[in-house]
Amino acid sequence: MLQKWIEKTYRWAQKNSLWVIHFNTGGCNGCDIEILDLLTPRYDVERLGIIAEASPRHADVLLCTGPVTKQTSDGLWQIYSQMPSPKWVVAVGSCSNTGGVFHGSDTVLGGVDKILPVDLYIPGCPCRPEAIIEGLLELRERISNHG
Amino acid sequence: MGKVNIDSLRSLIESQTGCTCDVYPEIGNDDTLIIPPERLQGVVALLNDYFEGIHLSTITAQQRETRGNAIEVIYHFYQDSGFSLMITLPEQSPELASVVSIIPGADFYEREVAEMFGVKFTGRDETPPLLLPEDWDQGPPFIRKEDNDE
Amino acid sequence: MNKISIPIGPQHPLIKEPLSMKIDISGERVLGGSLRLGYVHRGIERLAQTRNYVKNVYLIERVCGICSHIHTTTYCHAVEALLDIIIPPRAYYLRALMCELERIHSHLLWLGILAKHVGLDTIFMHTWHDRELALDIMEEITGGRVLHGANQVGGVRFDLDKTHDAMIRSTVQKLKTQVEGLVDVIENEPALIARTKGVAPVSAEMIRKYCVVGPVARASGVDVDMRRDNPLPPYDQLEFSVVTHPDGDAWARTVVRAEETHESLNLCERILSDLPDGPVSTRVPRNVPAGEVIIRSEAPRGELFYYLRSDGTDKPARLKIRTPTIPALCLLPEQMSAIQVADIPVVMAGVDLCVACADR
Repeated sequence: MLQKWIEKTYRWAQKNSLWVIHFNTGGCNGCDIEILDLLTPRYDVERLGIIAEASPRHADVLLCTGPVTKQTSDGLWQIYSQMPSPKWVVAVGSCSNTGGVFHGSDTVLGGVDKILPVDLYIPGCPCRPEAIIEGLLELRERISNHG
Repeated sequence: MGKVNIDSLRSLIESQTGCTCDVYPEIGNDDTLIIPPERLQGVVALLNDYFEGIHLSTITAQQRETRGNAIEVIYHFYQDSGFSLMITLPEQSPELASVVSIIPGADFYEREVAEMFGVKFTGRDETPPLLLPEDWDQGPPFIRKEDNDE
Repeated sequence: MNKISIPIGPQHPLIKEPLSMKIDISGERVLGGSLRLGYVHRGIERLAQTRNYVKNVYLIERVCGICSHIHTTTYCHAVEALLDIIIPPRAYYLRALMCELERIHSHLLWLGILAKHVGLDTIFMHTWHDRELALDIMEEITGGRVLHGANQVGGVRFDLDKTHDAMIRSTVQKLKTQVEGLVDVIENEPALIARTKGVAPVSAEMIRKYCVVGPVARASGVDVDMRRDNPLPPYDQLEFSVVTHPDGDAWARTVVRAEETHESLNLCERILSDLPDGPVSTRVPRNVPAGEVIIRSEAPRGELFYYLRSDGTDKPARLKIRTPTIPALCLLPEQMSAIQVADIPVVMAGVDLCVACADR
């Protein structure tokens, strides 16, 4: 009984304070700018308890943008492994989902799911800030339902 | 100053460095001179002195099927109007003198040409790769033709 | 004192894009640095050789998400030059309108980033809020906030009507008031001046040596602007002034960019008044005749260079893109000598890096 209660409280707390880290795996800046846009007055995700965090050690959610290039694949894995569990990966934008328009290039590996387990895909080229907020809210729901 | 006159530029280069150069007519809006590879450094130094610091837009390298896949290196300058110098190098072990000592801004352009087309620039420091991964070993340089045929 | 090398990047809060930099310091003094690019290298120049001219418009748009429109504009101009066609004048004007809106959005974005790096979060929030107004216009007329899909070979894919005209005019007016306030803040805010004035000055001679272009060059007193010097249509018909500043330090760059934003807003109004009537696109053949062309245009960060060679098929034989960030990056290690550690963010922000552009 007590354990259940603790778990519930834990999930409630976690869902309401998502700390996200953003990593550009080789994108064109379109989605990156939209993610940065989330912090500015019009979209302001801090009202949802979402804070952009600079260090992977403090982050819960990894927001990836862009196709994974050969050179960033190592860095991506390192950042993911530095994040404490539980952690979630969100692929933001078409490139990040599948490789997008850069599919077929020799220096591009493809989507983020080639390297990391992805929890949520947000399509769009680039994603609108509303879409990213929608995605993060969906992630919140999942956290509170499944832990 | 108005548009750079290609004929006066040509006679300037020919009289000052003693190299022969031909006008390449095919680039529509940019006058282009073909010069021998070994003269490049001298000609760039001359232009740099003559214009008191010349603006190098970039260095393009490419291969042309009609010329037996020889590597063409084009130096694009801009001085009130654009003009270019074209150099043709053999496909096997291409080498060219570096102009970094004259125009420091050519650094990244030369490194890019070196990585993408395997042109070796002599007379400059060895540098780590700029764009490609350190362990890039997939055969020929990145944009070379034989690698690119589909 | 001992020399210490600090690696920065590829993931670092200071830079939003992957770029690796090694900075040598001794105590509080920075001795120099070296750069490593290529984390965003997607091989676009090579990919372009494998796709046809129509598909390439979409690929080229994704060279950079900040200055996407000028890339496609320059590319389309190059293809149109090879095809030897002249597109309807209205299309040229609409392209220029988007270019100016993009310049406004890019400069405001940059001013925000600089303000954030010097610790003035209020200005960051204000400029990014104002920037949304420019994005609103672009979204209203093309449907895209950041990537617009506005260009095609042979014209543009959107048109303005009466309601758009009124909406753009009123928004531009609103932006003008905001930018005037911003210029006032930049010129008088003591905290900003203290952090940027006299930091890493670059002489006009250095600018020429490193072939630097755009606002960075203009802030050092080098009067270059491809819109005026080597104009693509319709800039040869439009009147505008080129903003320069003699100081060459981080503050001068801020002033130049803020005033350029204002000039671009004026230019938007002028384009709207001069906008000719007529169609916005023409039909073009799929195959492009053999030939070579060089196009230079003015991106928000400076001279953008495209070299395009066609061999008569429907795919380019070679497409070379030189973006204005590359020479600015070349200059960066040079600026890194003889500054304080605390000035590193200001210097890095000052050149307005766009790594996606530089790597392609």
